[in-house]
Amino acid sequence: MFESLQHLASGFTIATTFYNLFYCLIGAIVGTLIGVLPGIGPIAGIALLIPATFGLNPTSAIIMLAGIYYGAMYGGSTTSILLNVPGETASVITCIDGYQMAQKGRAGPALAICAIGSFIAGTIGLFGLVFLAPPLAEAALAFGPPEYFSLMVFGFIVLSNVTGTSLIKSLMMAVVGLIIGTIGLDPVTGDARFTFGSISLLGGIEFVAVAIGLFGIAEVLTNVEKPLEMLEQRVIVPRFRELYPSLQDLKKSITAILRGTGIGFGVGLVPGPAPVIATYSSYMIERKISKHPEEFGKGAIEGVAGPESANNSACQSAFIPLFVLGIPFAPPTAILLGALLIHGVTPGPLLIGQHPELFWGVIASMYIGNFILLILNLPFVPLFANILRIPKKILLPLIILFCITGQYTVNNSVFDIGIMLLFGALGFLMRKWAYEGAPLLLALVLGPKLEVAFRQSLMISHGDFGVFINRPISMVFLLATLVFLAIPILRTVSKYLKKGGIV
Amino acid sequence: MLRKSMIAVVILVLLAGVPIQAAEFPTKEVQVIIPWAAGGATDLIFRALAATTGKYLGKAVVVVNRPGGGSAVGYTEGAQAKPDGYMLTSAVTPLTILPHQVTTAYTYKNFEPIINVVSDPSMFLIRSDAPWKSLKEFLDYAKKHPEMITVGNSGAGGGVHLVALAFEKTAGVKLNHIPFSGGGPSVTAILGGHVNAVSVSPPEGISHVQAGKLKILALFAEKRLEMFPDVPTVKEQGIDFAMGMWRGLVAPKGTPPDAIKKLHDAFKQGMDDPVFRKNAKDMAVNLSYLGPEPFGKLMASEHEFFEKLIKEIKK
Repeated sequence: MFESLQHLASGFTIATTFYNLFYCLIGAIVGTLIGVLPGIGPIAGIALLIPATFGLNPTSAIIMLAGIYYGAMYGGSTTSILLNVPGETASVITCIDGYQMAQKGRAGPALAICAIGSFIAGTIGLFGLVFLAPPLAEAALAFGPPEYFSLMVFGFIVLSNVTGTSLIKSLMMAVVGLIIGTIGLDPVTGDARFTFGSISLLGGIEFVAVAIGLFGIAEVLTNVEKPLEMLEQRVIVPRFRELYPSLQDLKKSITAILRGTGIGFGVGLVPGPAPVIATYSSYMIERKISKHPEEFGKGAIEGVAGPESANNSACQSAFIPLFVLGIPFAPPTAILLGALLIHGVTPGPLLIGQHPELFWGVIASMYIGNFILLILNLPFVPLFANILRIPKKILLPLIILFCITGQYTVNNSVFDIGIMLLFGALGFLMRKWAYEGAPLLLALVLGPKLEVAFRQSLMISHGDFGVFINRPISMVFLLATLVFLAIPILRTVSKYLKKGGIV
Repeated sequence: MLRKSMIAVVILVLLAGVPIQAAEFPTKEVQVIIPWAAGGATDLIFRALAATTGKYLGKAVVVVNRPGGGSAVGYTEGAQAKPDGYMLTSAVTPLTILPHQVTTAYTYKNFEPIINVVSDPSMFLIRSDAPWKSLKEFLDYAKKHPEMITVGNSGAGGGVHLVALAFEKTAGVKLNHIPFSGGGPSVTAILGGHVNAVSVSPPEGISHVQAGKLKILALFAEKRLEMFPDVPTVKEQGIDFAMGMWRGLVAPKGTPPDAIKKLHDAFKQGMDDPVFRKNAKDMAVNLSYLGPEPFGKLMASEHEFFEKLIKEIKK
């Protein structure tokens, strides 16, 4: 422990040189911008800037690129809150209550609480990274295909009804997501499935296109139906005093932030779609333990604070497998791995020993970076909140333009724009009949992973289903799923029995 | 007066520029399609090469990622690009594999070879605490227990999966192949002990071999690796088998030969540039230069090889 602190101190001397501070600042600014723009996410952002780091030393290069990654987590919520357009996978959940807050004139507090929550989560996550990295990395290796499968089952069942509306409708949407997730190359045999000869469909349906369609485009379409007077009026003019969260907001949020941080840090260690699971879980938990669950979906600040903190601390813990094992569990860290290689640093179990200046320098810079991001983001709050002063008849077409260009930058694919518009239309109909988009997106992310883990497990066990219950971690997840399913049934039964007993 | 003379100068420059533009290739930046997302081995290698080749070509080389369809999307676009030498595609082993597995709009025949840059041997890695001390013990166990040894790979029908299938055929054993969604996940699985071995291609898993957590069980190369001179190839152990991944550049069919030559010469110089050499060494990739003709022959023979192998598997 003492040794870690000593190393951390030396890391701070590296990170606080003028040169490294400068690159940390650049990374944070670029990351925020990338997060704000829908479509282009941290992955593309880091990849695009790798060539710009060719002339730098490895430590400065990684400081800047890591800054883009966690900077994007700060910016990602902005369009979710203001325009109902999720900038990346991690900010889908923020759309739900964040956008509702903005519609009620509380865009400022929503934006500010995201920055504050992200800062707290980033800071705590960093301490986890310093003190717990090696044991946690070893623990993450215990997750083989069977454990992964059971975790996905757990996530799927528990998180499907994340917004707490109709369970049946949520499950229906989840099944639609599962079906869409099967499009593309079969992960085990490599055969094409449901592509009908289309080359573009071989790679499957792009998640970001579906997310922007279901949320952003559908929101615009829903507005188009409204009477003209409503579109012409200036929506909300927030007073300056109301731009930042009140004491009461902070009180409400702080426990949500801390819980979100814990969840995100734990989930971030699991390979795969950590940001999605972390944000959904955090939202789910906040809604379940809230004294006012009816406020969720209508602009509850906890529903923004929790998930936003979760995705930031998941981003911190994603660095653990990268630095300790040299294996990227999340796509953005895969790009960082590439950047390390280009700079002549071989990521792997020897990295911390061979390049202590890099490891501790980057860690320390992340702390400084989080602070820079907080300072950077809070003054922008009034600016961003003012976007909502634009009359809707002008704002709505702009959102469509924003979505289309944003989507195109992801894969430079016109086909993806078509997919996005298609899901926009579907999302419009879903809203009319009160179906939620969140379960569909969850299933679209988890479905393919669930299928692969299931088939891998059975291949390893030669078809023996016992593999899922013979392994302790896997069994715990399956049992937890059973308990979750059983509770409502038991409740109903006991209610029924009580009634019967009294009457 | 000054303005008039300025205009005259501009017109002169433009007039002078036109004939040169018509004659000299290249007049604008050259793009290289990578049919995978940014950050993979192919992407990294060609980004590094693009950085050093620009100065020899006289125009910048820009990498564009067109991921999707297990590389089919990028190759389709590359094959259908205008054959003027400004839109190149990175040709990697799957170019000769995927067309046998799904209906694609292209094969290697839709492209003109330019240069091969990298060729890496494949290998099997096992955990250092695995019960097998040598390849012979491993194969003996596999013969006695067919389909019991699990071997991870980086994706169904991908390069290292087919290497593993071809090797088991040559060695006369039956293994249980488990596909993962990339080299990272498959290496994670062996570190966690969820599979018995993995089929990889450098730089995947190399750092764990250096750290002593994993070891190279079988090296499918013609000669030993520089980094691990003590590890014998499988050929030395009496199994006539060598296979790997190659990565080169191609242009659409019909690209003028003089453009191909200019591109080849520039990329060759880019490859020989000390900066690129150092980058390649750090990434632990094995540079292996082939000119247009031998590279074309390599793709043709690989195409034939995988056609046979995949027919064999699909039976």
